[in-house]
Amino acid sequence: MNKTLKTCLSSSALAVALIAPAAFAEPPATDYEPPRMDDGTPDMQGIWTNASLTTLYKSGDQPLVVSEKAAMAMAGMVEASAEADAKPTDPNDPAYAAGGPEVGGYNRFWMDFGSALAKVRGEYRTAWIVDPPTGDLPYTEEGKAKEVARLEEQRNDFDNPEIRAAAERCTVGFGSTGGPPMLNVLYNNNYQIVQSPDLVAITVEMNHQTRMIRIDEEHRPDVMRQWLGDSVGHWDGDTLVVETTNFHPDISLRAATRHRLYMSPDAKVKEAFTRIAPDEIFYEFWVNDPEIFTQEWKGEMILRQAEGPIYEYACHEANYSLPGILAGGRREEAEAAKNGGSE
Amino acid sequence: MKRTTLAACSALALAFGAGLPAQAQSATTGKDLNGVWQAVNTANYNLEAHHGEAAMQLRDGPVTPVPTKNLLAFGAVGAVPPGESYVEGETLPYTPEAAAKRDENRANWAERDPEVKCYMTGVPRSTYLPHPFQIIQNDDQMIIVYEYANMVRNIFLTDPGEAPVDSWMGQSYGQWDGDTFVIEVTGQNGESWLDRAGNHYSAAARVTERYTRVDPYHIDYSATIEDPETFTEPTTISMTLYKLVGQDARIEDFNCVPFVEELMYGDLRKEPLQ
Repeated sequence: MNKTLKTCLSSSALAVALIAPAAFAEPPATDYEPPRMDDGTPDMQGIWTNASLTTLYKSGDQPLVVSEKAAMAMAGMVEASAEADAKPTDPNDPAYAAGGPEVGGYNRFWMDFGSALAKVRGEYRTAWIVDPPTGDLPYTEEGKAKEVARLEEQRNDFDNPEIRAAAERCTVGFGSTGGPPMLNVLYNNNYQIVQSPDLVAITVEMNHQTRMIRIDEEHRPDVMRQWLGDSVGHWDGDTLVVETTNFHPDISLRAATRHRLYMSPDAKVKEAFTRIAPDEIFYEFWVNDPEIFTQEWKGEMILRQAEGPIYEYACHEANYSLPGILAGGRREEAEAAKNGGSE
Repeated sequence: MKRTTLAACSALALAFGAGLPAQAQSATTGKDLNGVWQAVNTANYNLEAHHGEAAMQLRDGPVTPVPTKNLLAFGAVGAVPPGESYVEGETLPYTPEAAAKRDENRANWAERDPEVKCYMTGVPRSTYLPHPFQIIQNDDQMIIVYEYANMVRNIFLTDPGEAPVDSWMGQSYGQWDGDTFVIEVTGQNGESWLDRAGNHYSAAARVTERYTRVDPYHIDYSATIEDPETFTEPTTISMTLYKLVGQDARIEDFNCVPFVEELMYGDLRKEPLQ
């Protein structure tokens, strides 16, 4: 290596280090040679899924890494419960109690949350978060308070449609399925990637939104908020690095059955996509949001190739839930008034 | 860093850049539809020839028709610009029943047009909405992303067989026929309209789109609708699509779902607005 190039590389590394101290893509070493697009970049096109029993953060006393035996046991239990739920209903069973826990919601037929823990770097992991090493979301006091306040609002306030969760409004899918970071939820954990030299498009099945990652371009002005944020990217060797910010304020709380994540609209999410096997993309993500978190935190996930196709998740066009929820609120108020109490 | 080193670095970067595989060097004509496109015409107002009108929905006035009350505040912004027909043969060949439905649709435009409610607009209407769309296409994958309502179509490049379920955007199967990309669209759900004038088609429709890039900045577009439940014969619409260029040639996030919440759910607020 000649001296000038060496100086350039070391000073470039220094410059990068000053800008982004923590977030470096660290895909596992592999001999795998990915297929390539005409422009030489790795071909990551196709349908991918993050359906998994692994979830964003540590759950209770469950260890972050479990043995293969334990992982298989978990998968077996999930399969057994699905089989049990799929059995025909006994016609002699009594009706469910009105307002009881069995009423409403879905049975297992409608769920597609995956049936196994993810194997990341050879480990069966129960959480995607690897930094902090505890597997927890490192909320600041203020961040935690905001998460709790918004959650309470979402659970108890039925006065106006704008207050309801983004997924109930059909503005985006549940939780952080669209992301970024793209996190697994109860169903429709499917993504389609299509590439061109100046753009990588990621279509999220729920709700048919496409993140247009513009390569080597600048962010839009801060006033242009987007539901999946504004994403720009670049290729770092064979890794696609994406930076996203300027989120719509109504997507700050991403609450789903399988994760709950609060991020401010100005949060900066960095993602790194590296194809490490024919059927695997190593997906790293970092969230930098000093108001909400005490540190930049990192997750590692495997996106697995899926059969597809992506189906049309037409949510808004048949949204009976939102008017039903609001009408339920009005009904409760009317009944309370009728009973003479204040509502 | 010393200035000389910086200059040397820049030169090196240039040299390395020159050695990279040619990015963005794709063909600008022929078998390449990549880009951001938009129809710049009056097709979404009315596919058929029409003169200018005061509003999309009119009622009888003392002398001439006037805008319905719900549209009055829009003034000239809500007017319909005049336009030629995009239909081969000038008019859509409706059955008598379908023509009556078109008239009814038109008289109740604001209540019935799926575009007003931010519903997906189906094919071919999505092509000539007043919003751009982006085609991303290569040998293995193709999607069309529309700015309006975050709509997206995956274009199957191998035969997917019959559509497994009806949907708003239908199932698309595309292949090259010479320099023309032909997309067969089936499995639409019959809820979509063709324009703001109440023109419509049914779930039985088979739509054949033809995209021919005649030069770097233009696509000749046509769509043939075979729908015996609506039309007495196949009917074809055609128009030019223009390539957007410059820094703003991109798809923005026009997620209109929250924009129609007051319209659709305002009456269910705890305190409805007066």
